Amino acid sequence: MAKDPARDIPPHPRREPRYPGPITAERLEEIFRDCVDYTVRPVVLGGGTGRGLTLCYLGGMVRMERVSDYLLKPLARDGSLAGCTPAQQMTRMEQGALYNLGVARRHSLDQVVSDLVAGWCVLLFPGESAVLSCFVGTEEKRSVSAPDNETVLKGARDGFVESVRTNTSIVRRHLKTAELRIQEQVVGRQSQTLVDLLYIEGLTNPHLVEQLAARLKEIDIDGVFSTGAIEEYIVPAAHTPFPLVQYTQRSDKFCAGLAQGRVGLFIDGIPLGYLAPAVLGNFLQAPQDKSSSWMLATVLTVLRYFCMLTTLILPALYVAMVTFHQEMIPTRLALSIIAAKENVPFRSGFEVIVLLLAFEILQEAGLRLPQSIGQTVSIIGGLVVGSAAVEAKIVSPAVLIVVAIAGIAGYTMPSQELGGALRIWRFVLVLLSIWAGLFGVILGAAALIIHLAGLESFGVPYLTPFAVGTGLHAREHVFLRRPMPEIKLRPSALKPRNRRKQR
Amino acid sequence: MKKYLFCLPLALCFLLTGCGRYAGALPYGREIEDMELIRTLGVDVAPAGVKITASGGDQEETRVVTGEADTISAAVLALQGGGDSYLYFGHVTQLLVGEALAGEGLSPALDYTLRDVEMRLETALYLVQGDAENAIREAAEEGSATERLEALAADAGLTAASMPRTVKDVLADLDRQGASFVPAVTGDGELSAAGYGILKGDALAGWAQGEAALGVNLIFSKVDADVVTVTAGETTAALRVVGAETGVRPLWDGESLTGLAVTCRVEANLAEGAPMPDEETLAALAAALEEVEESRMERALALAASLDADYLGLRPAAALAVPWRKSALLEEKGMAGLELTARAEATIQRSYHADG
Repeated sequence: MAKDPARDIPPHPRREPRYPGPITAERLEEIFRDCVDYTVRPVVLGGGTGRGLTLCYLGGMVRMERVSDYLLKPLARDGSLAGCTPAQQMTRMEQGALYNLGVARRHSLDQVVSDLVAGWCVLLFPGESAVLSCFVGTEEKRSVSAPDNETVLKGARDGFVESVRTNTSIVRRHLKTAELRIQEQVVGRQSQTLVDLLYIEGLTNPHLVEQLAARLKEIDIDGVFSTGAIEEYIVPAAHTPFPLVQYTQRSDKFCAGLAQGRVGLFIDGIPLGYLAPAVLGNFLQAPQDKSSSWMLATVLTVLRYFCMLTTLILPALYVAMVTFHQEMIPTRLALSIIAAKENVPFRSGFEVIVLLLAFEILQEAGLRLPQSIGQTVSIIGGLVVGSAAVEAKIVSPAVLIVVAIAGIAGYTMPSQELGGALRIWRFVLVLLSIWAGLFGVILGAAALIIHLAGLESFGVPYLTPFAVGTGLHAREHVFLRRPMPEIKLRPSALKPRNRRKQR
Repeated sequence: MKKYLFCLPLALCFLLTGCGRYAGALPYGREIEDMELIRTLGVDVAPAGVKITASGGDQEETRVVTGEADTISAAVLALQGGGDSYLYFGHVTQLLVGEALAGEGLSPALDYTLRDVEMRLETALYLVQGDAENAIREAAEEGSATERLEALAADAGLTAASMPRTVKDVLADLDRQGASFVPAVTGDGELSAAGYGILKGDALAGWAQGEAALGVNLIFSKVDADVVTVTAGETTAALRVVGAETGVRPLWDGESLTGLAVTCRVEANLAEGAPMPDEETLAALAAALEEVEESRMERALALAASLDADYLGLRPAAALAVPWRKSALLEEKGMAGLELTARAEATIQRSYHADG
């Protein structure tokens, strides 16, 4: 009898509440036992001599000056507090006896534990079931700087950082509308990561927001330590290597996406902003397209599409032509290829596969090593080994040129994810071309188109607007980037509540 | 998902079996470096039937091989078995037919080009005055026949007495009008232009050479730069003919076709001669040019009449001018009994003179 594999997976119940029981100093000490950074400090109120309050916090998570200046100093100086009952003390502190900006009354132990981990400190009052939480976090973060991975020629240089709150503030500075909504969810049982959802109310399709919020809510994982922890849960990434959400470190690109009617996503600890939905055309547009002349941007966009086809099919086309369809090659070029392949021991298909693999290995080695060593590896691998292999007649120069052109064309992709997906499909097409020449290439290309046509990003077909009608007045930037004053409407595929974007 | 992942390596293993190369539905793969590209193919009569001469090789050396059999296909197969490389005919750009074979008929050569999977209908066709094999071998001693014929085709407009014709052109002509013409080359290693061979049916019926060949080019408006020396009164001038535009008009007697009138408008420049000819002299020069060009066209037309072969495609050309009488024009293919006239209208467009 077949064994049900589901039985082997242990249950994963979510305990609610996670920490049951009353909020007491003893209970907190039990929860944070063996935690060297957990600190408890008794506080005697000014003018009092009896039993005081208990202050709890996690060392390193709170800023000591804030605790001293905003909490301890007013508590020590305000002599009237000692004469009040604990309930009165709590109310007065909530109303302003403490200088701290963020003060909240907490009634559950879960909330208190969560606050302590997030850099709050907690004041426990004797005999009271509720406590006061005060935000005194360190807010240590990297300063806002130009994005590392996306070159900015003309445009804002305030790239996103690891702090989600800093990122939302950057967006607020660019989009000063009060309709900018920022919803927050906590994802990850262990990491308790803040994930913020940004959109402009009255503009973004509310169904899209609900859809994304619901998918975030469904995520029940240990922690968010990498981008995939969110990406792969909100889109069906298991079925495709193509990216279905767009990410950027550039604030201008992110804000432009929000103003277009898309939904933004920030993950605390990850210096990137996500935009959804994203279709194929989005990954072929560079942020500087909007800063360049429309004619230049159009030419560059067309060039990128050409490079996409080149990187995808050139090696497969080469194999098909030199192995199956020699009549397609101009005679003089065919003679050159024959001369170049003289005494090379390997078949063309094998040569291409080996060189493509070598190219991938070099690229991977260059990425993993420190930048200075990485460049050395690229030079040694690409130039020295490449030319030596050609001179030793191990590979033919024609194959080397074809693979190099395909590789370099792939680097023109503004999205690394798209470039990676194309690299995978490039291998598939080469294998098919070894098998059946152009028939194989066409078969693979058809399969790719069918695959892409079947993809959707939050209900928007991935091949929009190529495979989907976008209305009579579609003037979106696909191949042709029209002059800005002519682009009156937002993309219809996003179903924005307000289509018109300018007078 | 797991079972698909399991199937993927298995599916990839099929690529290693080699079965795909011999599956009927798939193309047959062959590495390009194992091939020898044949550029020029010659066909001659041989005791066994036909003799094939193939010229190919790389950029540095020309190699010529021959094979004989009763058919062209069998001869090509015999060639394949002779060497270590696979002879690839997908890059044949010139097909040379020997004079003797052309006399017997070009159908086998044309049919082979039409049906063979590697040969192309765009292959240029030439008649060789003599043996194609000799011409190819002699040309290979100082380069290759391919290079010579490519240069000849590139300069065709300048010589004004030769124009390249493809197998497709000739097949279409033979099907439409039962006659055609093919550029001829000398049988020595020079492979110089030697006018045209006229085909009637599929066999060589005659030659159009010298003035007649120039007339053929005029009728087909294929003149890029022909220099004609004419004399008008005391003035002798060299005129460069830079363009020709020809029309064919049918002549009728009631419902019956009596003749075909060819009219050619010729444009020329003054290349050398009088420093500043006056209008009267220019008109006289133009008249002299008209006389020369008319004479050339008449020679070409006389060949059509004498051979009773519409090798110039005059009837289809006239049918284009009067499509409503197409059936009357195309119901017969011969030229016997038709009055064929030629008229040229010359214009001397401009001239350059030092004192002007």
